[in-house]
Amino acid sequence: MSADKKSSEPLFSKKNKKLITDPLTDNNPVTIQVLGICSALAITVQVNQAIVMSLSVLFVIIMGNWIVSLLRNLIPSRIRIIVQLLVVASLVIIVDQVLAAFLPDLSAKLSVFVGLIITNCIIMGRLEAFAMANKPWPSILDGFGNGLGYGAILILVAVFRELFGSGTLMGIPIFGNALPGEESGLYAIGYQNNNLMILPPMALIIVGIIIWVQRSRNKALIEEH
Amino acid sequence: MALNKESNGFTFGFAIVLVVVLGVILASLAEGLKPLKEKNVRVKKQIDILSAMMDVEKEGIDRTNAETEFSKYVDLSQAVILNNAGEEVARGKEAFEVDIKKEYRDKNLEEKDKKFPLFIAKDKKSNETRYIIPVVGKGLWGPIWGYICLEEDMRTIQGVSFDHKTETPGLGAEINKPFFMDRWKTSQISNDAGDFQKYEVVKDNSGSTDPSKVDGITGGTITSKGVEEMVNRSLEIYSNYFKNINSK
Amino acid sequence: MESTLDIFVKAIFSENMIFAYFLGMCSYLAVSKTVKTAVGLGAAVIFVLTVTVPVNFLLENYVLKAGALEWLGAEYAELDLSFLSFIMYIAVVASIVQLVEMLVEKFAPALYGALGIFLPLIAVNCSILGGALFMQERQYSTILDATAFSLGSGIGWFIAIVAIAAIREKLRYSNVPGPLRGLGITFIVTGLMGMAFMSFMGIKYGEEAPKEEVETVTTMIETNKENNIN
Repeated sequence: MSADKKSSEPLFSKKNKKLITDPLTDNNPVTIQVLGICSALAITVQVNQAIVMSLSVLFVIIMGNWIVSLLRNLIPSRIRIIVQLLVVASLVIIVDQVLAAFLPDLSAKLSVFVGLIITNCIIMGRLEAFAMANKPWPSILDGFGNGLGYGAILILVAVFRELFGSGTLMGIPIFGNALPGEESGLYAIGYQNNNLMILPPMALIIVGIIIWVQRSRNKALIEEH
Repeated sequence: MALNKESNGFTFGFAIVLVVVLGVILASLAEGLKPLKEKNVRVKKQIDILSAMMDVEKEGIDRTNAETEFSKYVDLSQAVILNNAGEEVARGKEAFEVDIKKEYRDKNLEEKDKKFPLFIAKDKKSNETRYIIPVVGKGLWGPIWGYICLEEDMRTIQGVSFDHKTETPGLGAEINKPFFMDRWKTSQISNDAGDFQKYEVVKDNSGSTDPSKVDGITGGTITSKGVEEMVNRSLEIYSNYFKNINSK
Repeated sequence: MESTLDIFVKAIFSENMIFAYFLGMCSYLAVSKTVKTAVGLGAAVIFVLTVTVPVNFLLENYVLKAGALEWLGAEYAELDLSFLSFIMYIAVVASIVQLVEMLVEKFAPALYGALGIFLPLIAVNCSILGGALFMQERQYSTILDATAFSLGSGIGWFIAIVAIAAIREKLRYSNVPGPLRGLGITFIVTGLMGMAFMSFMGIKYGEEAPKEEVETVTTMIETNKENNIN
């Protein structure tokens, strides 16, 4: 890197703040950039699954961005992708081991999808596009912003699916007791959980609807054909 | 000394240092967390075994006190390992280590070499002996498994606990809910002569009147039939053992 | 216990990588604009999956899992290297994809050009790593099962991407509302296809079912007879 500026930017300058807010709206990694779809669909059956997954991805993306940015002047360009992959894979292994040790039931539910964080295009994408060319602090913010954008979509879809699919949020029944023979609340007047919500296809349809809403509000995103 | 980061030497050196550092970090983490992970697996199995005998939530048993509670109910030194003909082949706490799920899936393992553990427990209140049998089978989407608890007479089912990995939520997944598991209680696995009586999981609600039938889950037929197959296949082996014991 | 054929057919239909597990969505969405590119990528995925999963199976069973290194010597029987699985699997996948890339460039340069960046991207395609991770999680006991699983998964992925590409080509002539055009409608159509594929769930594989029912009925008839006599 050439001449370093003597004065560093304030920590939360306008430019840096944008790193956090952009992915939450106009540049959302899932719905606009179309990255990280796999887990956004699979791990959204329950809100607490989605929260744990989002936190895991947040950890990996922030640490990954930070480490790669710190090392960016040392990494030989020939093995660039491999180094990024190694860093991400190691961070994911750490997350997986910690989950298995301290949150075993949740770890069993998340199963292979924790490992699949490695192939989450958002992470590799940010490492290559941002962390390799930027200083550590902005890289951390960029990771944070994209992680939040990802988490926001995950939790939004999960809220829909858990609420309408099981009638609960974070395991707490919202509409009443659904057990046959003990119905209360909405169930007593004949409301039934929409079991389709818990099945994979609904996740796809809900994300499709979210995209519809987003593009209706921002005409610039509409595709040409 | 100018360090050229694109040179072969540096590239190699960097790669090696990175791999070593990562290797050390990951290996120490894995080793450090190993006892905790093993404890988690052990505790889960203990809770599952106990849940065939009682409502573990009501009894206040969870991951924090499972190990002490388990030893109060189950005496592992009395546990037995059977072969597929119902004959005793070993005794003692190694029965706890038998992984029947793995053996069920292992195609390289012959039937006669498979191990079938039996746990002997004591009901704290009545001081009666209970027999707890692990079972494993196949649901619609993935494996299903559970534990069946028999009363002292080695025939009557005192309780069951079933679980699954990926059955359909709201349908097959309901096999681990009390309303389904309660349907198995008080039925008998063998007739007066000690011969095994097969169960049938049915759709026509005759389960409440016929002791050898159990009502399945509406909409979860394949999983329910999977439970039927699992229960019949496993109980047949154990009932041979019980019959031999009782005839002595 | 499932037969190898069971595993193969399930991987194509009821446990389809796209419709049941959403693996490989990124390239699925991006490369499905025309049938030609979809066929090319789908074929590449079948090939990469069918080669990498068995290789990773050997790695898992002879190097990585607890006690796997026994063949080196008894002292190694205690070693459990499974925490390295992620790194090893992705290394195998990256190397094999590199190989495929070189082969495609040499023997089918037009396809190479059409696929562009997506060929190397197969390495980070969740479906490939996912295949290896599922193989590890389900602990298939023979390499034949692992291969049946990966071949089936690849074929399932291929069917999914070619189908959506065909539909998208036709959709271009329909009047899709602006905000739904392209990505939005693709998601919804994929969801509908997923629902359709779920109808494969109830198929019984193998001939065991009828036999058991006959036995149960016979036992019940005999039990009834005994009761009647008594």
